[in-house]
Amino acid sequence: MRRMIDVQNIEDIALGAAVLGTGGGGDPYIGKLMAAEAIRQNGPVELVSVDEMGDDDMSVAIAMMGAPTVMVEKMPGGTEAVSAFNAVQSYVGKPIKYIYSIEAGGINSTIPIALAAKMRLPLVDLDGMGRAFPEIQMVTQSLFGITAHPFTMADEKGNSVVLSTIDNRWMETFARGIAVNMGATTIIGAYPASGKQQKEAAVHGTMSFAETIGRTIREARAAHVDVIRALKDVTKGYVIFHGKLTDVQRKTVAGFARGEALLEGIGEDAGSTMRIQFQNENLMAEKNGTIIASVPDLITMVEEDTGEPLTTEQLRYGFRVMVLAMPAHHHWRTPKALEVVGPRYFGYDIDYSPIDERL
Amino acid sequence: MWNVTEADVDAIAMGAGILGTGGGGNPYLGGLRMKQVLRQGHNVQIIQLEELADDAAVCEVGWMGAPTVGVEKLPNGLESQHVIAALEAYIGKTIDAIGCAEVGGSNSMAPLEAGAVTGKPVIDGDAMGRAFPEMQMSTLFINGVDCSPSAMVDEKGNCIVFGTMITAHAFEKFARDLCVQMGCTSLIAGPAMSGAEVKAHSVPRTLTLARDIGNAVLNARARKSPFVDAVLKVTGGKEIFAGKLIDVQRRTVAGFARGSMLVEGLGDFRGEFMHIAFQNENLVAWKGDRDTRDEVVASVPDLICMMESDTGEPITTEQLRYGLRVNILAIPCTDKFRTEPALKVVGPAAFGYPEVVFQPLPKTPGQGIE
Repeated sequence: MRRMIDVQNIEDIALGAAVLGTGGGGDPYIGKLMAAEAIRQNGPVELVSVDEMGDDDMSVAIAMMGAPTVMVEKMPGGTEAVSAFNAVQSYVGKPIKYIYSIEAGGINSTIPIALAAKMRLPLVDLDGMGRAFPEIQMVTQSLFGITAHPFTMADEKGNSVVLSTIDNRWMETFARGIAVNMGATTIIGAYPASGKQQKEAAVHGTMSFAETIGRTIREARAAHVDVIRALKDVTKGYVIFHGKLTDVQRKTVAGFARGEALLEGIGEDAGSTMRIQFQNENLMAEKNGTIIASVPDLITMVEEDTGEPLTTEQLRYGFRVMVLAMPAHHHWRTPKALEVVGPRYFGYDIDYSPIDERL
Repeated sequence: MWNVTEADVDAIAMGAGILGTGGGGNPYLGGLRMKQVLRQGHNVQIIQLEELADDAAVCEVGWMGAPTVGVEKLPNGLESQHVIAALEAYIGKTIDAIGCAEVGGSNSMAPLEAGAVTGKPVIDGDAMGRAFPEMQMSTLFINGVDCSPSAMVDEKGNCIVFGTMITAHAFEKFARDLCVQMGCTSLIAGPAMSGAEVKAHSVPRTLTLARDIGNAVLNARARKSPFVDAVLKVTGGKEIFAGKLIDVQRRTVAGFARGSMLVEGLGDFRGEFMHIAFQNENLVAWKGDRDTRDEVVASVPDLICMMESDTGEPITTEQLRYGLRVNILAIPCTDKFRTEPALKVVGPAAFGYPEVVFQPLPKTPGQGIE
């Protein structure tokens, strides 16, 4: 299936992707502006489903890497994505025909749209996570043996590097250090993959799914119906808490925004508390001291009235939120995948228990 | 043009140690590997700058990292091929010749090994004519040669290409941090340069110079004649002191071994004292009293070299200890470091001694570091 993405679609995609971004993936506002501007200048972007890709057609992911807390202040210069794309292209033997998003999230769903518009290349309707995750190796392509390299990074000052590593975990180590030196945000070009590989390894339909979520929120708001219920239905998610943010601890360490948010229950959750820990993305939700949702399932805080998703860098005292938990893509639920993105990888000594089996 | 023999390896290691002015790392391990490579039947050809075509593609090859780790974490032997291939893939050209970044210390051997295993000739010259602690302290970078593209690899097989680096300082910062993540040793090839750039800005004939200095010491030792005179005949400069080390202050600051030493005169220098400040390399030498630094005798970028009095072995700053008997030589540096812009990067003020005025040691044309 092929269709065109225009400025209105970007609004919906950015909003929906921020829900899938589980608190990370960057502020949707900046990404939206960049994509809308690129489309105004170059015309709409074609979105194609993975079946349209020939088995040998090459695609590349373009993303912003770094700390979301920095991204809201240090904007890209505008030429980094093209330079990152060209650098990957120079290593891939044949012309790269498609661009894709590596993660669903406010900024990383829209930056590829901006580049697709500039390069006049189609965008593939998929991503590497079906959500956002904080580290480079945490993409489903990794699970199927696809390497992150040639992995290119470019900053707004004009520095650029190309990395190739013995595995994708090493890529994270090196790239994170470089990202910090580049000023904690940088544009990357990575995970070149063929149509055949994407058909097997990617999370399909993520862009359309994000758009559907965004449109659902927008329409529910316009119709003055219950946004949270609409959101819960469209994402097949669960409302695991209703509360007020009473404390946020946040530090930008080693290129990540790490911390935790404390909530006091209101309404049906009055008298309860929730603690949410995050590393760019929300990782773990504890209700009254018991873990009730964890990575790789999605945990997203949305504003209680409007359903507006909150990124971890936006959190502050007094927000009234609904906490949603949504099931992760099946690629993430295998034992091998859980070694990469399960609770233990992030330092929590618990077994993963899928949200749809818990509740 | 000459081919490196095992005897040359020993001589270059000795000469490079002296040109290391107390730093630059120990060429011993690199020398061992180089001999092994020669025994495996490889051959490396040293060519003069004049033999290089203006449009030749050239890169330097050298190790980065902590020498203390380098002696424990050995290379796997394939790094040279890997790093040069990575750079060639990026620039889309074959590298025609290999250059040396720093003739002083262990990095005198890296280009030789790379030349031997890749079959590429090595240029008789370098970008310092001595050792210095930071990448930007190079006759090439000071004269505006771009520090990118460069490639860096580790012994595990990881590789990073620095495609564009806006300043040598940025390159130093990126590469240094990555080197730490690679386990504190990594091999760098780069920058990719033209033959014309290398010819214009290199310090010529320094591999031959290192070999000649080394042979001077080894021959003097064999003949039981004074090695100081033998070395000075090759390098120019003078003996500024001889004596016994009576105090060493050392602290590790920001990844560098900084400190100072006090030497009490013996022989002709009896009754005098010399103070030397160092940061990996020896920086400034003063004559004075036990407690006072009265007169600057030599300073960066000129070379202050210490040799053990019995054997003529070069002494690195980490080997300094009470009781060591030393001869201290001051050797004139390359003219390329004696310009106004160069002194901003490698003069005493750049190392934290703004009060020291660099007084160039007199040079004899045709002798020593050109």
